[in-house]
Amino acid sequence: MIIYNPQNETLLKERIKSAEELLKQIPAKYCFITGSFLYKKKYHDIDIFVISRSKREFVVNNKKAKITVIDFNDLHSLFYRSVSKSCIAKNILPAKQLKVTFSDYWNVINEAIPTLMNEKDTYHKNVRFLILYTEYFRAGEVLDTFQLARKIEQFKYYKEILDYVKTEIVKITKKEIKFSYAKRFFYTQAGYYKDLQEYDAQSFLYGLAHDAVKTAHG
Amino acid sequence: MVSPEEFRKKAGAIVAQNYKVEFLGKNFDQIVNLLTDTKAEKIYNWLEEVIHKKIQPIVISSKKQYKDWKVNELLTFRYQFSIENVEYRILFVKVKNSIYIEFHLGDHKYYDKVRKDLSLT
Repeated sequence: MIIYNPQNETLLKERIKSAEELLKQIPAKYCFITGSFLYKKKYHDIDIFVISRSKREFVVNNKKAKITVIDFNDLHSLFYRSVSKSCIAKNILPAKQLKVTFSDYWNVINEAIPTLMNEKDTYHKNVRFLILYTEYFRAGEVLDTFQLARKIEQFKYYKEILDYVKTEIVKITKKEIKFSYAKRFFYTQAGYYKDLQEYDAQSFLYGLAHDAVKTAHG
Repeated sequence: MVSPEEFRKKAGAIVAQNYKVEFLGKNFDQIVNLLTDTKAEKIYNWLEEVIHKKIQPIVISSKKQYKDWKVNELLTFRYQFSIENVEYRILFVKVKNSIYIEFHLGDHKYYDKVRKDLSLT
């Protein structure tokens, strides 16, 4: 059993043992457990990840277990890097070079903003990707599940998250991409939102795209 | 318990358009059978809100073909709920400035498949 804990978080001893028992039930070389189960007395789910090419369904003897299968082709993703950063694993986990593009980040924003506006203050879970990508591009750091949960808890209302994205996207655009690319990229995106201004989300995204180009120019 | 036939009828009546919305999902009927009246009512209310443009859609800029349309011509509305710790999702698809075409209901496996077809992340 391997414990990945780069931030030296305090893990609950009894959970380490339970995690080990759960992982033993999974017939795969690479599997791991991360999230609140490892460090919080009260937890909602047990997040188990299995790296596998197989299409079979994995099950363990625990109703709270949520098993996600990660394909070997997805090991370069920010998602995998984040969930595997602090975890308890059956074996040493495979590592691949991270591949994340600015366009991936915008795709995340494009889906997260409508979701956030629909869920308002019940957003907790679905906002993870948005914060993960924003922090990666803002500070160059991949947050693990502990850090991500802590970062999300800092926001009191969903509107604070909207403001955070609004502030960071312009800085990130200026830092990460050339003006000529920003202009082409954001004006194309804005074109898709233009006819949908009756929706708050697309209106927000339209404004965000324009702000990003303006800042990239300045 | 909600009858799948009644569910389709009620949901179809809320959408109220000449084009018949397709109700899709590998285990559509079984999942509807699991719905309580309260849960079904929540879905009908959500549909009403979609029709009245109170729910925000997802618009993907991909030019990929999805059946008779390009992905960037579609608006997708997403709704999530759970029954006994199992999560289910609805994807309700509309053609931009036009008709509603599909109502998908399924578990995470089905959602993953449709999500990829619609180029959602």
